[in-house]
Amino acid sequence: MEALLTVASSDYSQVMVNADTDIAADERAWILKAQRSDARAFEALYRLHVDKIYGLCLRMTGNVSEAEDCTQEAFIQAWNKMEKFRGDSAFATWLHRIAVNAVLGRIRKSKREHDRIQAVSDVQTARVATGDTGELRDLAEAVDRLPERARHVFILNAVYGYSHEEAARMLGIAAGTSKAQLHRARRLLTQQLEDQGFTG
Amino acid sequence: MTKEFDDKLDRAARQLATEIAPERDLWPDIATAIAEPRRSRWTPMFAQAAALVLLVGASSAITYVTVKNDSAPVVSIEPELVFEQTSFGANYNLGPGFQDARNSLRADLDAELTRLSPEARTNIQENLDLIHTAIADINVVLEKEPENVLLQQMLLRAYREELTLLSRVGGLTRNVAMRNDI
Repeated sequence: MEALLTVASSDYSQVMVNADTDIAADERAWILKAQRSDARAFEALYRLHVDKIYGLCLRMTGNVSEAEDCTQEAFIQAWNKMEKFRGDSAFATWLHRIAVNAVLGRIRKSKREHDRIQAVSDVQTARVATGDTGELRDLAEAVDRLPERARHVFILNAVYGYSHEEAARMLGIAAGTSKAQLHRARRLLTQQLEDQGFTG
Repeated sequence: MTKEFDDKLDRAARQLATEIAPERDLWPDIATAIAEPRRSRWTPMFAQAAALVLLVGASSAITYVTVKNDSAPVVSIEPELVFEQTSFGANYNLGPGFQDARNSLRADLDAELTRLSPEARTNIQENLDLIHTAIADINVVLEKEPENVLLQQMLLRAYREELTLLSRVGGLTRNVAMRNDI
Protein backbone atom coordinates (compact mmCIF):
# COMPACT_ATOMS: atom_id res chain seq x y z
CA MET A 1 0.00 0.00 0.00
CA GLU A 2 2.80 2.33 0.99
CA ALA A 3 4.64 1.46 -2.20
CA LEU A 4 1.48 2.16 -4.16
CA LEU A 5 1.13 5.57 -2.53
CA THR A 6 4.76 6.36 -3.28
CA VAL A 7 4.29 5.46 -6.92
CA ALA A 8 1.10 7.50 -7.12
CA SER A 9 2.80 10.45 -5.49
CA SER A 10 5.75 10.14 -7.86
CA ASP A 11 3.39 9.98 -10.84
CA TYR A 12 1.60 13.06 -9.61
CA SER A 13 4.89 14.95 -9.32
CA GLN A 14 5.78 13.87 -12.84
CA VAL A 15 2.41 15.09 -14.09
CA MET A 16 3.05 18.46 -12.41
CA VAL A 17 6.54 18.68 -13.91
CA ASN A 18 5.14 17.83 -17.32
CA ALA A 19 2.39 20.44 -16.89
CA ASP A 20 4.99 23.08 -15.98
CA THR A 21 7.11 22.10 -18.97
CA ASP A 22 4.07 22.30 -21.24
CA ILE A 23 3.16 25.75 -19.92
CA ALA A 24 6.73 26.96 -20.39
CA ALA A 25 6.75 25.63 -23.94
CA ASP A 26 3.36 27.22 -24.65
CA GLU A 27 4.57 30.49 -23.16
CA ARG A 28 7.65 30.54 -25.40
CA ALA A 29 5.49 29.90 -28.45
CA TRP A 30 3.02 32.62 -27.47
CA ILE A 31 5.86 35.09 -26.90
CA LEU A 32 7.28 34.45 -30.36
CA LYS A 33 3.84 34.86 -31.94
CA ALA A 34 3.05 37.99 -29.93
CA GLN A 35 6.37 39.46 -31.06
CA ARG A 36 5.01 39.03 -34.59
CA SER A 37 1.90 41.02 -33.59
CA ASP A 38 -0.35 38.02 -32.93
CA ALA A 39 -2.96 39.47 -30.56
CA ARG A 40 -4.46 36.04 -29.79
CA ALA A 41 -1.10 34.77 -28.57
CA PHE A 42 -0.74 37.93 -26.49
CA GLU A 43 -4.18 37.29 -24.99
CA ALA A 44 -2.97 33.83 -23.99
CA LEU A 45 0.02 35.46 -22.27
CA TYR A 46 -2.36 37.88 -20.58
CA ARG A 47 -4.53 35.02 -19.28
CA LEU A 48 -1.44 33.23 -17.99
CA HIS A 49 0.00 36.22 -16.13
CA VAL A 50 -2.86 38.59 -15.32
CA ASP A 51 -3.29 37.35 -11.72
CA LYS A 52 0.39 37.91 -10.96
CA ILE A 53 0.38 41.40 -12.44
CA TYR A 54 -2.93 42.45 -10.93
CA GLY A 55 -1.80 41.08 -7.55
CA LEU A 56 1.36 43.17 -7.66
CA CYS A 57 -0.52 46.29 -8.78
CA LEU A 58 -3.17 45.81 -6.09
CA ARG A 59 -0.55 45.35 -3.36
CA MET A 60 1.38 48.41 -4.53
CA THR A 61 -1.57 50.77 -5.05
CA GLY A 62 -3.94 49.40 -2.41
CA ASN A 63 -6.85 50.35 -4.63
CA VAL A 64 -8.89 48.14 -6.97
CA SER A 65 -9.58 50.79 -9.59
CA GLU A 66 -5.94 51.96 -9.70
CA ALA A 67 -4.75 48.36 -9.82
CA GLU A 68 -7.02 47.61 -12.77
CA ASP A 69 -5.74 50.66 -14.64
CA CYS A 70 -2.11 49.81 -13.90
CA THR A 71 -2.62 46.21 -14.98
CA GLN A 72 -4.11 47.31 -18.28
CA GLU A 73 -1.38 49.89 -18.76
CA ALA A 74 1.29 47.27 -18.03
CA PHE A 75 -0.06 44.84 -20.63
CA ILE A 76 -0.45 47.58 -23.24
CA GLN A 77 3.15 48.64 -22.64
CA ALA A 78 4.26 45.01 -22.77
CA TRP A 79 2.54 44.66 -26.17
CA ASN A 80 4.33 47.77 -27.45
CA LYS A 81 7.67 46.48 -26.15
CA MET A 82 7.25 42.80 -27.05
CA GLU A 83 9.96 42.86 -29.69
CA LYS A 84 12.43 44.08 -27.07
CA PHE A 85 11.90 41.01 -24.87
CA ARG A 86 15.00 38.85 -25.42
CA GLY A 87 14.41 36.24 -22.74
CA ASP A 88 17.28 37.42 -20.53
CA SER A 89 14.89 37.12 -17.59
CA ALA A 90 11.66 35.17 -17.13
CA PHE A 91 8.71 36.69 -18.96
CA ALA A 92 6.89 37.09 -15.61
CA THR A 93 9.82 39.07 -14.19
CA TRP A 94 9.91 41.25 -17.30
CA LEU A 95 6.18 41.89 -16.90
CA HIS A 96 6.65 42.67 -13.20
CA ARG A 97 9.20 45.36 -14.06
CA ILE A 98 6.78 46.92 -16.54
CA ALA A 99 3.98 46.76 -13.98
CA VAL A 100 6.10 48.44 -11.30
CA ASN A 101 6.93 51.18 -13.82
CA ALA A 102 3.24 51.56 -14.64
CA VAL A 103 2.40 51.95 -10.94
CA LEU A 104 5.21 54.46 -10.34
CA GLY A 105 4.36 56.38 -13.51
CA ARG A 106 0.75 56.57 -12.50
CA ILE A 107 1.62 57.83 -9.03
CA ARG A 108 3.98 60.45 -10.45
CA LYS A 109 1.50 61.52 -13.08
CA SER A 110 -1.59 61.80 -10.98
CA LYS A 111 0.02 62.95 -7.71
CA ARG A 112 -2.89 61.28 -6.08
CA GLU A 113 -1.06 59.42 -3.38
CA HIS A 114 -3.05 61.26 -0.74
CA ASP A 115 -6.21 60.11 -2.47
CA ARG A 116 -4.92 56.56 -2.27
CA ILE A 117 -4.39 56.86 1.46
CA GLN A 118 -7.89 58.22 1.78
CA ALA A 119 -9.20 55.45 -0.41
CA VAL A 120 -7.64 52.83 1.88
CA SER A 121 -10.42 53.51 4.32
CA ASP A 122 -13.00 52.29 1.84
CA VAL A 123 -11.20 49.56 -0.02
CA GLN A 124 -13.13 46.72 1.54
CA THR A 125 -13.56 45.28 -1.93
CA ALA A 126 -9.78 45.32 -2.41
CA ARG A 127 -9.14 43.40 0.78
CA VAL A 128 -11.84 40.87 0.05
CA ALA A 129 -10.35 40.49 -3.40
CA THR A 130 -6.87 39.65 -2.06
CA GLY A 131 -8.17 36.60 -0.22
CA ASP A 132 -6.20 37.48 2.92
CA THR A 133 -7.86 36.35 6.15
CA GLY A 134 -7.23 36.65 9.86
CA GLU A 135 -3.79 37.97 10.80
CA LEU A 136 -2.74 38.09 7.18
CA ARG A 137 -5.55 40.51 6.61
CA ASP A 138 -4.29 42.62 9.52
CA LEU A 139 -0.83 42.58 7.97
CA ALA A 140 -2.18 43.52 4.53
CA GLU A 141 -4.06 46.46 6.05
CA ALA A 142 -0.96 47.57 7.95
CA VAL A 143 1.10 47.36 4.75
CA ASP A 144 -1.52 49.51 3.02
CA ARG A 145 -0.98 52.20 5.62
CA LEU A 146 2.79 52.34 5.12
CA PRO A 147 4.33 55.39 3.42
CA GLU A 148 4.61 54.90 -0.33
CA ARG A 149 8.29 54.02 -0.70
CA ALA A 150 8.47 51.82 2.38
CA ARG A 151 5.34 50.01 1.15
CA HIS A 152 6.76 49.43 -2.33
CA VAL A 153 10.06 48.09 -0.99
CA PHE A 154 8.31 45.83 1.54
CA ILE A 155 6.00 44.42 -1.12
CA LEU A 156 8.76 43.72 -3.65
CA ASN A 157 11.24 42.41 -1.10
CA ALA A 158 9.24 40.71 1.66
CA VAL A 159 6.13 39.65 -0.26
CA TYR A 160 7.49 38.95 -3.77
CA GLY A 161 10.98 37.89 -2.72
CA TYR A 162 12.99 40.23 -4.92
CA SER A 163 16.49 41.03 -3.67
CA HIS A 164 17.34 44.58 -2.62
CA GLU A 165 19.28 45.03 -5.85
CA GLU A 166 16.33 43.85 -7.97
CA ALA A 167 13.78 45.89 -6.02
CA ALA A 168 16.03 48.95 -6.19
CA ARG A 169 16.42 48.58 -9.96
CA MET A 170 12.66 48.31 -10.40
CA LEU A 171 11.97 51.32 -8.19
CA GLY A 172 14.83 53.44 -9.54
CA ILE A 173 16.51 53.81 -6.15
CA ALA A 174 19.82 52.72 -4.62
CA ALA A 175 20.08 49.27 -3.01
CA GLY A 176 21.03 50.99 0.25
CA THR A 177 17.83 53.03 0.10
CA SER A 178 15.87 49.82 -0.41
CA LYS A 179 17.46 48.33 2.74
CA ALA A 180 16.74 51.47 4.73
CA GLN A 181 13.12 51.55 3.55
CA LEU A 182 12.64 47.88 4.43
CA HIS A 183 13.94 48.58 7.92
CA ARG A 184 11.57 51.53 8.16
CA ALA A 185 8.65 49.41 6.92
CA ARG A 186 9.38 46.70 9.49
CA ARG A 187 9.61 49.24 12.28
CA LEU A 188 6.28 50.83 11.34
CA LEU A 189 4.59 47.45 10.88
CA THR A 190 5.89 46.30 14.24
CA GLN A 191 4.45 49.40 15.91
CA GLN A 192 1.06 48.75 14.30
CA LEU A 193 0.87 45.00 14.71
CA GLU A 194 2.38 44.39 18.14
CA ASP A 195 -0.42 46.40 19.71
CA GLN A 196 -2.92 44.15 17.92
CA GLY A 197 -1.30 41.05 19.41
CA PHE A 198 -0.02 39.84 16.06
CA THR A 199 1.55 36.42 16.46
CA GLY A 200 2.43 35.67 12.86
CA MET B 1 11.43 45.60 17.21
CA THR B 2 12.91 42.17 17.84
CA LYS B 3 14.50 39.65 15.54
CA GLU B 4 11.77 37.21 16.52
CA PHE B 5 9.03 39.60 15.50
CA ASP B 6 10.87 40.40 12.25
CA ASP B 7 10.94 36.68 11.46
CA LYS B 8 7.22 36.42 12.15
CA LEU B 9 6.63 39.39 9.92
CA ASP B 10 8.69 37.90 7.10
CA ARG B 11 6.96 34.53 7.37
CA ALA B 12 3.56 36.19 7.29
CA ALA B 13 4.56 38.45 4.38
CA ARG B 14 5.57 35.40 2.35
CA GLN B 15 2.10 33.97 2.92
CA LEU B 16 0.30 36.97 1.47
CA ALA B 17 -1.26 36.13 -1.87
CA THR B 18 0.88 37.23 -4.80
CA GLU B 19 -1.58 36.13 -7.47
CA ILE B 20 -4.97 37.80 -7.25
CA ALA B 21 -7.67 37.55 -9.89
CA PRO B 22 -9.16 40.89 -10.93
CA GLU B 23 -12.87 41.29 -10.25
CA ARG B 24 -13.60 41.93 -13.91
CA ASP B 25 -12.08 40.89 -17.21
CA LEU B 26 -9.52 43.55 -18.12
CA TRP B 27 -8.75 42.07 -21.53
CA PRO B 28 -11.43 43.84 -23.68
CA ASP B 29 -9.95 47.30 -22.93
CA ILE B 30 -6.44 46.00 -23.58
CA ALA B 31 -7.57 44.38 -26.85
CA THR B 32 -9.06 47.69 -27.99
CA ALA B 33 -5.87 49.57 -27.13
CA ILE B 34 -3.54 47.15 -28.89
CA ALA B 35 -5.74 46.92 -31.97
CA GLU B 36 -4.03 50.09 -33.21
CA PRO B 37 -0.75 49.56 -35.08
CA ARG B 38 2.34 49.42 -32.88
CA ARG B 39 4.08 52.76 -32.59
CA SER B 40 7.43 53.08 -34.26
CA ARG B 41 10.17 52.42 -31.72
CA TRP B 42 11.90 55.57 -32.92
CA THR B 43 8.99 57.87 -32.16
CA PRO B 44 10.07 58.62 -28.58
CA MET B 45 13.65 59.19 -29.73
CA PHE B 46 12.37 61.51 -32.44
CA ALA B 47 10.41 63.45 -29.88
CA GLN B 48 13.40 63.51 -27.55
CA ALA B 49 15.73 64.80 -30.25
CA ALA B 50 13.23 67.43 -31.37
CA ALA B 51 12.67 68.53 -27.79
CA LEU B 52 16.42 68.80 -27.26
CA VAL B 53 16.84 70.98 -30.33
CA LEU B 54 14.02 73.25 -29.17
CA LEU B 55 15.57 73.38 -25.72
CA VAL B 56 18.93 74.23 -27.22
CA GLY B 57 17.36 77.13 -29.14
CA ALA B 58 15.61 78.46 -26.07
CA SER B 59 18.61 78.11 -23.80
CA SER B 60 20.92 79.71 -26.37
CA ALA B 61 18.67 82.73 -26.33
CA ILE B 62 18.85 82.80 -22.53
CA THR B 63 22.62 82.49 -22.69
CA TYR B 64 22.75 85.36 -25.14
CA VAL B 65 20.73 87.56 -22.81
CA THR B 66 22.85 86.53 -19.80
CA VAL B 67 26.12 87.18 -21.57
CA LYS B 68 24.81 90.42 -22.99
CA ASN B 69 23.79 91.63 -19.54
CA ASP B 70 27.13 90.52 -18.19
CA SER B 71 28.95 92.79 -20.59
CA ALA B 72 26.81 95.89 -19.93
CA PRO B 73 26.15 98.47 -22.65
CA VAL B 74 28.02 96.76 -25.40
CA VAL B 75 26.52 96.63 -28.84
CA SER B 76 27.04 93.12 -30.09
CA ILE B 77 27.40 92.45 -33.75
CA GLU B 78 25.20 89.62 -35.00
CA PRO B 79 27.49 87.09 -36.57
CA GLU B 80 27.05 86.49 -40.22
CA LEU B 81 27.77 82.88 -40.80
CA VAL B 82 27.54 81.05 -44.05
CA PHE B 83 26.16 77.56 -43.62
CA GLU B 84 27.31 75.15 -46.20
CA GLN B 85 25.32 72.25 -47.48
CA THR B 86 25.35 69.48 -44.90
CA SER B 87 26.92 66.24 -45.93
CA PHE B 88 25.17 63.31 -44.31
CA GLY B 89 27.69 60.61 -44.99
CA ALA B 90 28.87 57.93 -42.65
CA ASN B 91 29.53 60.31 -39.77
CA TYR B 92 26.96 62.98 -40.57
CA ASN B 93 29.58 65.72 -40.46
CA LEU B 94 29.20 69.16 -41.88
CA GLY B 95 31.23 70.65 -44.74
CA PRO B 96 34.93 71.53 -44.34
CA GLY B 97 34.37 75.31 -44.27
CA PHE B 98 31.85 74.91 -41.49
CA GLN B 99 34.20 72.64 -39.58
CA ASP B 100 37.06 75.15 -39.95
CA ALA B 101 34.92 77.98 -38.57
CA ARG B 102 33.79 75.72 -35.70
CA ASN B 103 37.30 74.56 -34.87
CA SER B 104 38.62 78.10 -34.92
CA LEU B 105 35.93 79.33 -32.56
CA ARG B 106 36.36 76.31 -30.27
CA ALA B 107 40.09 76.96 -30.07
CA ASP B 108 39.55 80.51 -28.82
CA LEU B 109 36.67 79.64 -26.54
CA ASP B 110 38.57 78.81 -23.34
CA ALA B 111 40.58 82.04 -23.46
CA GLU B 112 37.49 84.10 -24.19
CA LEU B 113 35.44 82.48 -21.43
CA THR B 114 37.92 83.71 -18.81
CA ARG B 115 36.84 87.26 -19.60
CA LEU B 116 33.26 86.53 -18.51
CA SER B 117 31.75 86.16 -15.06
CA PRO B 118 31.62 82.65 -13.49
CA GLU B 119 27.81 82.60 -13.89
CA ALA B 120 28.01 83.40 -17.57
CA ARG B 121 30.77 80.82 -18.07
CA THR B 122 28.71 78.12 -16.37
CA ASN B 123 25.67 79.07 -18.40
CA ILE B 124 27.59 78.88 -21.66
CA GLN B 125 29.19 75.55 -20.79
CA GLU B 126 25.83 74.05 -19.84
CA ASN B 127 24.37 75.17 -23.14
CA LEU B 128 27.29 73.78 -25.11
CA ASP B 129 26.88 70.46 -23.29
CA LEU B 130 23.19 70.50 -24.15
CA ILE B 131 23.94 71.11 -27.81
CA HIS B 132 26.52 68.31 -27.88
CA THR B 133 24.03 65.95 -26.28
CA ALA B 134 21.47 66.90 -28.93
CA ILE B 135 23.98 66.31 -31.73
CA ALA B 136 24.94 62.92 -30.31
CA ASP B 137 21.31 61.87 -29.84
CA ILE B 138 20.29 62.93 -33.32
CA ASN B 139 23.25 61.07 -34.79
CA VAL B 140 22.18 57.91 -32.96
CA VAL B 141 18.75 58.09 -34.57
CA LEU B 142 20.23 59.07 -37.93
CA GLU B 143 22.29 55.90 -37.97
CA LYS B 144 19.02 54.00 -38.03
CA GLU B 145 17.26 56.32 -40.42
CA PRO B 146 19.96 57.99 -42.55
CA GLU B 147 17.47 59.22 -45.15
CA ASN B 148 15.26 61.03 -42.68
CA VAL B 149 15.13 64.64 -43.84
CA LEU B 150 13.60 65.93 -40.61
CA LEU B 151 16.48 64.49 -38.60
CA GLN B 152 19.00 65.95 -41.03
CA GLN B 153 17.40 69.37 -40.57
CA MET B 154 17.44 68.95 -36.81
CA LEU B 155 21.12 68.06 -36.88
CA LEU B 156 21.93 71.05 -39.05
CA ARG B 157 20.00 73.27 -36.69
CA ALA B 158 21.89 71.91 -33.67
CA TYR B 159 25.24 72.55 -35.39
CA ARG B 160 24.05 76.01 -36.30
CA GLU B 161 23.09 76.70 -32.68
CA GLU B 162 26.54 75.62 -31.55
CA LEU B 163 28.29 77.84 -34.07
CA THR B 164 26.06 80.79 -33.27
CA LEU B 165 26.70 80.36 -29.55
CA LEU B 166 30.46 80.13 -30.07
CA SER B 167 30.59 83.19 -32.29
CA ARG B 168 28.39 85.19 -29.90
CA VAL B 169 30.75 84.41 -27.05
CA GLY B 170 33.68 85.47 -29.20
CA GLY B 171 32.01 88.69 -30.36
CA LEU B 172 30.90 89.68 -26.89
CA THR B 173 34.21 89.01 -25.17
CA ARG B 174 36.03 90.99 -27.81
CA ASN B 175 33.63 93.86 -27.15
CA VAL B 176 34.24 93.52 -23.41
CA ALA B 177 37.97 93.73 -24.02
CA MET B 178 37.57 96.81 -26.19
CA ARG B 179 35.45 98.55 -23.57
CA ASN B 180 38.05 97.80 -20.90
CA ASP B 181 40.67 99.35 -23.15
CA ILE B 182 38.68 102.53 -23.26
